[in-house]
Amino acid sequence: MNGWAISLRLKSISGDVLQVSEGSLYPALHKLEQEGWITAEWKQTENNRRAKFYSLTRLGRQHLEKEAANWSRLSAAISHVVRLEEA
Amino acid sequence: MGPQHWLYTVPLRLRSVFRRRRVEQELSEELQFHLEQKIEEGIAMGLSPKEARFAAMRAIGGLEQRKEEIRDMRRIHWLTDFFDDARFAIRSLSRTPGLTAFVVITLALGIGMTSGTFSMVDALIFRPYPVPHPSGVVTLVSTTHDNSFDNFSYREYLDIRSKTKSYDGVISNADMEAVGFSAEPSATPRIKGGMLVSANYFHVLGVEPQLGRGFREDEDQVPGRDAVVVLGPDFWKQEFASDSSVLGRTVRLNGTEFTVIGIAPETFPGMLIFGHPDFYMPLAMARGFSTDRQKNFFEDRDDRELYVKARLKPGTTVEQAQNELAVLAKNLESEYPKVNRNRGAALHTQFEMRTRADDINWKFGVIFITLALAVLLVACTNVAGLLLSRARSRTREIAVRLAIGAGRFRLIRMLLTESLILAFLGGLAGIAIGYGVVAWFHSFQNVIFMTDLPLSIPFQMDTRVLLASLALAALSALLCGLAPALQSTRADLVNGLKSADVDVPGRKRLWGRNVLVVAQVSTSLMLLTASFLMVRGFQHGLRDGTGFAKDHLLMTTFDPRLVQYDAAQTQRFYKLLAERVREAPGVQSEALTQNIPLGTDDFDGVAFVPDGFQMPRDRENFSSTMDTVDEGYFETMAIPILRGRSFLASDSAEAPRVAIVNQQFANHYWPGADAVGKHIRLDSRVGTLVEIVGVAQTIKYQGGTEKPMDFVYMPLTQHPIARMTLMLRSSGDPLQLIQPVKDVVRTLDPNLPMLHTMAYDDYYLNQAVKGPEIAMKLVASMGAVGLVLAIAGLYGLVAYNVSRRTREIGIRMALGAANSDVLRLVMGKGLVLVGIGTVLGLLMGFGVEHLMNSMLFNAGGVDILAYVIVVPSLFLVTMLAAYVPARRASRIAPTQALRYE
Repeated sequence: MNGWAISLRLKSISGDVLQVSEGSLYPALHKLEQEGWITAEWKQTENNRRAKFYSLTRLGRQHLEKEAANWSRLSAAISHVVRLEEA
Repeated sequence: MGPQHWLYTVPLRLRSVFRRRRVEQELSEELQFHLEQKIEEGIAMGLSPKEARFAAMRAIGGLEQRKEEIRDMRRIHWLTDFFDDARFAIRSLSRTPGLTAFVVITLALGIGMTSGTFSMVDALIFRPYPVPHPSGVVTLVSTTHDNSFDNFSYREYLDIRSKTKSYDGVISNADMEAVGFSAEPSATPRIKGGMLVSANYFHVLGVEPQLGRGFREDEDQVPGRDAVVVLGPDFWKQEFASDSSVLGRTVRLNGTEFTVIGIAPETFPGMLIFGHPDFYMPLAMARGFSTDRQKNFFEDRDDRELYVKARLKPGTTVEQAQNELAVLAKNLESEYPKVNRNRGAALHTQFEMRTRADDINWKFGVIFITLALAVLLVACTNVAGLLLSRARSRTREIAVRLAIGAGRFRLIRMLLTESLILAFLGGLAGIAIGYGVVAWFHSFQNVIFMTDLPLSIPFQMDTRVLLASLALAALSALLCGLAPALQSTRADLVNGLKSADVDVPGRKRLWGRNVLVVAQVSTSLMLLTASFLMVRGFQHGLRDGTGFAKDHLLMTTFDPRLVQYDAAQTQRFYKLLAERVREAPGVQSEALTQNIPLGTDDFDGVAFVPDGFQMPRDRENFSSTMDTVDEGYFETMAIPILRGRSFLASDSAEAPRVAIVNQQFANHYWPGADAVGKHIRLDSRVGTLVEIVGVAQTIKYQGGTEKPMDFVYMPLTQHPIARMTLMLRSSGDPLQLIQPVKDVVRTLDPNLPMLHTMAYDDYYLNQAVKGPEIAMKLVASMGAVGLVLAIAGLYGLVAYNVSRRTREIGIRMALGAANSDVLRLVMGKGLVLVGIGTVLGLLMGFGVEHLMNSMLFNAGGVDILAYVIVVPSLFLVTMLAAYVPARRASRIAPTQALRYE
């Protein structure tokens, strides 16, 4: 997906709750690229315009899984605390 | 993460560096695409194209800022930033070529002087021994009350070797000495430098001969048996053109045949600082060389001629070895009370040896390096000042950069890159100057070392010195550039954008600049004072005169050991030489002396006990410097005999022993009494009795600036020395006497060479005058450079002040200020700074003078004349430097000034 598509997707998936400022999206994308978790390729869009398309690398996928797992654990812990429940 | 991580990131980073333009283009394209999509979305929602565009731009924020943020995400942005900054710096520096050139030259001068001086200090102090693992080599010394760095005798050396456990090997060597060398038996011997060493010398040091071998242990066992020699690498190249067939060949050293068994490697020019031995002989052969003729080198425990070094065993500390050595010394003291009383032993590392308090090299090194660093400081302060004013004039540019979002640190980095480039250029030029200084040092080689020995000046721009110079350059960059960078990026943005030059009133503004000027003035003053003091000190020494007549003297040196004379033949030779040469045409009088007056050769010392003197409990004897002379000496050299008589022919070998002392000696040991008729005993209370028959005037013996010292003369007939110098006083030109002397020598022995034959005048000029002159020139040039830099700095400051206050000056003059008022206004601050600087400089000057007095010669108390001359001169000169731009300021037409922006 290219940067524009990603920002649209983020907005739609989170149900408009998360609005990624257009400005901070690209620095973040470039940082991920520099870390080697995503890789980019210049391709033609449906309208025949050139854009930079990003995709996850294998490394990125591993990192994503790890981070996702961490997030689940963290969010579960927080919600338990908030509801004063036992885990 | 691991290496697979790098598969993605490395090509990316490389790309960012090497394909900058492409990467930048893509970045623009990507953001542009996003922008266009956003605009389309806006249009789709019903906005007009213009409104859509505004909305899109607002959403994204500043395009350039985003791009910069993205660029920051690239990990190597430090490197690309540096390249950017460097390119920009070069461009902006070339826009002001005058300033750039001035800064580079200033830095070059400072760095050049320092690196040149450092080459000297490096050679004298830091350069490690040219052997593997040089830090493991320590020096052992014998210590007495008078001398903390005395030599050992052969027997003591053997004891150290056998009775200590701390070392992997103990070596010893004698001084490098003049040896008559001939490659063919029939050739006339030439003087070369040879060194007696122990058999394990090369092995313990870790030096592998490039050809042949070193000495074997058994070759050093029996005195006189194994005549083998190892050649030095330079000597082999010079003398034998690196011919390997020289191995096994026989050569003659002082008339004795020696076999060449090896060549030392290129990497080992020797362990001396100032010379490279031409060849090495085993200690066992000592009898054929310049060892003390009065003593038995191998038996007498008080014949101390050997320097001892050793390699510490790994795991042994210096303390442990030191303790062991102290114990050994104590044992020797009790075993041999007569010769080892109150004698200890100590261990020193190479660094300790090189930096000992009494070492003249160390003292000079410290003084010169301090002065050179002072020059560098002045240069740096100058440059810092210049950079400050330059930064000040870029205030608008810096304000703009800050306004559009550049971080302060980023800007500081940019400014520092600029000073780094300046320092780099300055450093390169400085290194070139350093080479020049070293070449200048080398040009004095022949002046300082007027001997036949292979002595040379070891100062060189080797790796260590180069690295130090580059480090110095980088440090100067930081020093010069940091303050301006910090100060200018603190700029008040609003005012900065308003005018190109911030004209902010307030005290703190020029504080840094003021400190710089004060520092410059005071350092220059100190440098000038130092040079002045040195010059005066030497002049004093020279003006006091030497005490003897230097004119119309021819000198020539003989060493009959070169033609294998024994002791009796040598004595006979000198007796006949003196007799015959006295009759030669043009010769007014003749003299024979062991030491050339004010020469470079070390004087012998004599150990004695004044007869009937109550010796302090811990002293075995006293010592004094001495010379061996014949009957004609005092007359020929015009040294007055104050009491008693000179030596006579009747003071022969069979007659009772006599000696002549100088006034200083007489006053020292027999104050108020007549020394004539008194006696001394040699070496100890029960040594040979010697009668004092005369008291000579105290003169200068070793150097033009020395303090008066005790001195003893002994007659040649009673104290035979092999190598003597003939001094002839002529009625006319001394060089006319050369031929007559040659004729006389030929009648005695046509094979005996005459060594450094010259007029004493010339010798003295080179030794006593030109030598110190070099030191003086070096210091004076440093003083001059420092002064020039200070003047330039002060001029720059005042001129800058004027240029920045031109509008203010215009207003004042329009309101009625007179020229003189303006003058006072502009110069006033400058004068205050000079005043403060002068006071500081005086204080530092006092400090330097004290340092010089204690370390060097008797420059004698506080030299008022120096200050009376230097301070007003400096004041005047700096006033002038301030006056010129100030005057220009007062001449400015008000209308012009007001128009100035």
